Parts: sequence; C-alpha cells; structure tokens
Amino acid sequence: MPKFLIWIAVLAALVALPHGLSFSQQEILVFLTINVLLVASYRLLTLTGEWSLAHVVIMGVGAYSSALLTKKLGVYVPVSMLLGGVIAALIAVLLSFPLFRMKGFYFLIGSFAAGEIIRLLWKRFRDPFGGAKGIKGIDPMPDFSIGFYQFDFFEPTSYYYFAGVIVAFCLWVLWRIEKSPVGLTFHAVHWQDKLAQASGVNVRAYRTLAFAIASGFAGISGALLAHYVGTINPNAFDIDLMVFVLTWAIVGGTATFYGPILGCVVLTVINEVVLRELGLEQMRPLIYGAIMILSILFLPNGLESIVQKFTKRRAAEGAPERSPAE
Amino acid sequence: MISKIVKSGLTRRTFLKSTAVTAMSAGLPGASLAAGNTIRIGFLAPLTGAVAAWGKPGLDGCQIWAERVNAAGGIKLSDGSYSVEFVSYDNEYDPAKARTGATKLIREDGVSFIMMLGGDTWPGVQPVADKTGMLFSTLLPSDLSPDTNTLIAPAEVHPIYNVTGVEWLAENKPELKTAVMCAQDDALGLPSVATYLAAFEAAGIEMLDAPLLFDPATTDFAPVVTRLISKDPDIVCLDTCYSDYVHPIAEQLFQQGFKGQIISCTADFYDQMIAKTSEEFMEGFVFQFPDFDDPALNGDNINFTDPNGFYAEFNRRHPGQWGAVSWEYASIMDLWKAAAEKAGSASPDAVAAAMKEGKGKHAFGDADWWGTELFGIDNALVGDWPVVAIEGGKARIKDFRSIPDWYARHGDLLVKHMKAYDQMWDQRS
Repeated sequence: MPKFLIWIAVLAALVALPHGLSFSQQEILVFLTINVLLVASYRLLTLTGEWSLAHVVIMGVGAYSSALLTKKLGVYVPVSMLLGGVIAALIAVLLSFPLFRMKGFYFLIGSFAAGEIIRLLWKRFRDPFGGAKGIKGIDPMPDFSIGFYQFDFFEPTSYYYFAGVIVAFCLWVLWRIEKSPVGLTFHAVHWQDKLAQASGVNVRAYRTLAFAIASGFAGISGALLAHYVGTINPNAFDIDLMVFVLTWAIVGGTATFYGPILGCVVLTVINEVVLRELGLEQMRPLIYGAIMILSILFLPNGLESIVQKFTKRRAAEGAPERSPAE
Repeated sequence: MISKIVKSGLTRRTFLKSTAVTAMSAGLPGASLAAGNTIRIGFLAPLTGAVAAWGKPGLDGCQIWAERVNAAGGIKLSDGSYSVEFVSYDNEYDPAKARTGATKLIREDGVSFIMMLGGDTWPGVQPVADKTGMLFSTLLPSDLSPDTNTLIAPAEVHPIYNVTGVEWLAENKPELKTAVMCAQDDALGLPSVATYLAAFEAAGIEMLDAPLLFDPATTDFAPVVTRLISKDPDIVCLDTCYSDYVHPIAEQLFQQGFKGQIISCTADFYDQMIAKTSEEFMEGFVFQFPDFDDPALNGDNINFTDPNGFYAEFNRRHPGQWGAVSWEYASIMDLWKAAAEKAGSASPDAVAAAMKEGKGKHAFGDADWWGTELFGIDNALVGDWPVVAIEGGKARIKDFRSIPDWYARHGDLLVKHMKAYDQMWDQRS
C-alpha cells in the first residue's frame, strides 16, 4: 500500500474517532491529545540523555502564561497559546544556566528543585498567579465556523479537532528536528558526548537547545489544557503528573519517536477507560501500578519493541528471497 | 459440550472477546438498573489520592442512605415512587477529571443532581454547570459566586461555622487569653484562617503571632510546632488542616509538651490521635464535627433521619472510617429528597426552586439560604452548628450555636479578615 494512502487512512480514522466514543471518552480523548504533545516533547529532551523532573512545571509555565495573557492583557487565545510556548522556552533557557552545570542524577534532582521553586512562586504570589487556588475563568478558545463545521469549543469533539491539528503540527516539527542534523547531534551528545565535544560540538549549547525546544512544546500543551479546562492551579502540575509522564515514556520506550506516544495512549486508555468502565475506580491506582511494573519487568524495551518486532517480521516476510550468492 | 462449541468455531480471539464483554457487563451493574423507576444521583468527588478521606466516606454514607430510602419506599414524586441509585466518578481532586466526570454523569448516566466536595475541582466543572443547568452541591461555600446559581452549599458552611467553637471557648474557658494558629497555604486553609482571626478578635483573644502558613507538601511538623508554641500561647488553633496534618501536629504538640487548649475545624479519626498521644492530652480538644451516636442529635431540631442508627450502620460496615463527610452528603440527600417530593419532580430546576422556598431543613436545625455578603449569592444554608469537645476519649456535642447570630454581631470583622486574605467572592481570581 502506498505510504500516502496509509496516512490518509490514519487521518480519516483520527477524524472519525470521536464520533465512535461516548461523551466522557471524547473528553479523555482531548486530554490524551494534549498529553501526547507533552510526552513527545519530553522525549526530545531525553535525546540528549537528560531526564528532567521539571517538564510538567514547564508545561504549567505555558498554561499560566497563556491564561494570564488572555485574562490580564486580552490577548487573542491562539496567540496567547503560542506565546505560552515561547515563554516556557525562555524560562527553560534561564533555568538551563544553573541546571546544565549538572549532569545525570544531579540534573534530575536539580530540575525537580527548580520546578518546585516555580510552583512555590505560583503559590506565594496570589497576584497575579492566584495563589494555591490558581486561576479560574480562563477564556476558552472563541467559537467559529468554517462553513461545513461549527466549532463549539465547549464540546470535546471541536476541541479535539483544534488540539489535534496543533499537536499534529507540533509532532511534525519535533520529528523533523529529530531527523535533522541538530537531532543527530542531540543523539551524539547523549551517547558520545566526549567525542562530540572533541569534534567541535558545543555540548552544553545543544543540551540547552533541546531543553528549550522541548519546553516550548510542553508550554503549548499546557496552554491547550488551560483554555479547555478553564482553570489551573499549582497542584495540576505537580510531581504526580510528572511521574505519569515518566511512566508513559518508560513503558512506551524512548528509542523511537512513537514509543512514548504509544505508552501515553495505551496507559491512558487502560487507566481512564478500561479500569473505570470495569467499575474498579477505587482499585485503579493499584492495578495501574501493577500493570506498570509488569510491563517494565516483561517489556524492558517498552511497547515500541512489540511494534518493532511485528514491523521487522512483516518487512522480512515482504522482502524478496535472496540467494546466499547474492 | 465445550468441545462442541470449540469445534463449532470458538476461536481463542472469540473466547477472549466474549469473556471481556461479560466481565465488562458484570462490572457495570448500573447499566441494567438504569431502566425502570430509578433516579440517579451523581457523586463526583475524590475517591482515591490525598483528598479521598473527604470523598470516599461520603459515598459510603450515601449508599447506606440510599438503601434506607429504597427500603422505605423510595422517593415519591408526582408520577410515582422512584428508587435512588448513586453513580460515582473519582475526580482525584483534579479539575480536568472533574470536568470529564460531570460530563459523563450528566450526558451518559442521566443523573438528576451531582454532589461534589468542591474546592480546586469546582472551576473545572463550572462551565459544565453553566451549559447544562445541572444542580450541583459543594461542601465548600467558598466555591459560591453569582456566576453560577445552580451551585448550592446545603450541608457544610465551611469555614464560617468555625466561629462557634471560638465563641464557645471564650464563654466557657475565659482564662484562655492568647492564641496562635497554623494552616496549610491553600484554598481550604486561607478562608478558614480569616474566619478564625475574626472569631478570636470578636472573642477578645489576642493572636501572639501571624498565622503560620505552611506548604501543603510539608511532612515534618516539628519545626512548625516548635515555632507555634515558642510564644507560650493558651490556645493552639489548627485551622482547617487536613487530617494528614492534624494528626502529626497533635503528635508534635504532645511530644513537645504543650499543655494548653487545642481547637481545630476537624478531628477526623480522633481515636488514632488519642492512640498516638494520650487520652489526657486530647481531653477538651475542641472541633466542629460530632459523632452521630451523640444523644444531642436525637432532639426535635435535628433534620437527619435516625442519626444514631446511621452511625452504627456506618461503623459496622466501615469500622474506623467515620469522619466529617460520612454524614454530610447523606444530609444533602435528605434535603434534596424533601425538595424533590415537595416539587413532585427530580428535575434540577424544580428541586432547586423547592429547596430554596422558605426555611431550609439543615441537619442541625432550621436554617436560611444566606451568603450574599460573603459569597455574592444566597446559596449557602446557614443556621446552627455544633461545638464538639473530646471528653474521656469520646467526641461529645457541647452546644449548638447560631452562625447568623454571630455574623449579625461581628460580620464586619469577618469581612475585614476575608478581604485581607483576598477571600471575598469578588477577590477570587
């Protein structure tokens, strides 16, 4: 099957998807779409070998920035979302000065501390951040019509299409970055940092670049969330959500672009749809934790390894037989 | 027979599919109950996570309430009797999940009323309430604002009832002249701090220090307590701390030798606190939530059906789980049932109108719909509230006191302190 036909089929399936779901599943689909961008952006950061614990707080920076820009300055929502991403990237650049003096475990702890400082600032300064209660009444995306479809952004389907287009574009950019020479350099910084440095690569600059780009996209995901839910508070961007992001990435696998996305989709569907539908609400944390541990134990290379296994087998089956002489 | 089925084409995939469908339907008993004369009530609260103690016991209490009401013939509306069924959704105290839960309960489960804990989760649900006109209840009147008239606070009037405890202390223990206070710096702690400050000022009790606001992530309370008692206060006020804070703070007060009076909004699972400290240390601990085996709850003024029986049944099913919210959601349902039967309908509009007509039957007596000055809307049911003290290891109601009477005398102080902490309805962002 030609590749473009596969993409058209995927696109058609994604467009049709919400119409086969219940209202609450449509709501979950919106949050899932937003989280896909969050976890994909996190992967870009991990390309350089650094695992930050501040990524969710950086998402919050985008959410707070976009919410305040619309509430205080009346900035048009789509513009404020973009600016939310820009501000998140700028904050990441500022954080990079102290953080990239550290590596590995120290970077992990340092990033956690930096994130907590930002969260404390949100709590401490009621004006403008709303303190512990956060900001509520955030302007929603204004409704509009494109002739054959009326976008009512209270409805999850409309917001899914809107967020889906933005997330798809962001994923394409992230993918292009990864496949570009810059992305290859990120890999080199991770796996052969001394060699890269010896080759004239400014390792710290590339780590900062990855941190800033990843943070920018996380900021956009935060802005998408803020303008859908209509409220944000410091607890919405705490370590609990960061643990979920790490879990998605680890369970999905980080060797491929789609691995963390796969982890996010599968674990969200299990947690938010299957376990709830089975009436196991109060046992969800327990079962979710067990699934996570089992998948790590029995799938050390993540869910992506299953996909790779099948795609390799199919590729092998489809390949013409070669004689040893060839 | 099994081999026949297998031979007739039962593949492993078909078997797994049918097993999954059976398991799914077994896990969804509500789907079969939806038909017939059943009214569904939504329960949208944290059932897991850090705040579950203020959600899960409430749902347990509601199940007991529903069984009792159904056994007594259900809810009698103009077109017949209906049994009642609760449909729950665990919002994990997250506004986004609360929004999803509200959507599910309204659009898929067809509920007639939704009860919430409120707080951080309410702003996520507010757009859903605005769009659907669904009647919601909260345990936190600080969620109220003129923006949403379908949100009511019919059970708990947190934090205003805290004034009754301070007033009772001032009258009954006039030797207590000084106080200090601590609270977690969040949406529950801050309005409560303002209320206690107003109550202490009204009672002529001097605050020795500014309220100590600690981060909700605090786990080590030794330094908090050391600073609190460093000025040798007569009273230590624990404000509206979560039980995860009240317990270690009380323990630290015990270990650091505090001998004075303790006052707190809640003392959930106080038997565990006694076990960690001593009966002597906890003697006289004042708070605001009674056990329902209290003889004082058998008076004619109480609008809660068989409180002693409810308490006994709750403890039989969930030993050691009785807390502030165990009865509150059930109490809201008493009020909702009375209003639905009065209106002859379960529709949110009709119930809301009937509920707000005349005097409200609050659990602790007749009460008025009140709150414009503080909340911008008269959607809080305010009347008397009990003052509870621990005596001989058991919580006992010492008195019922009128919140509106206190407000008539000292309302200006409450408004002053609420404004200072940006907690008036028009100051909330």
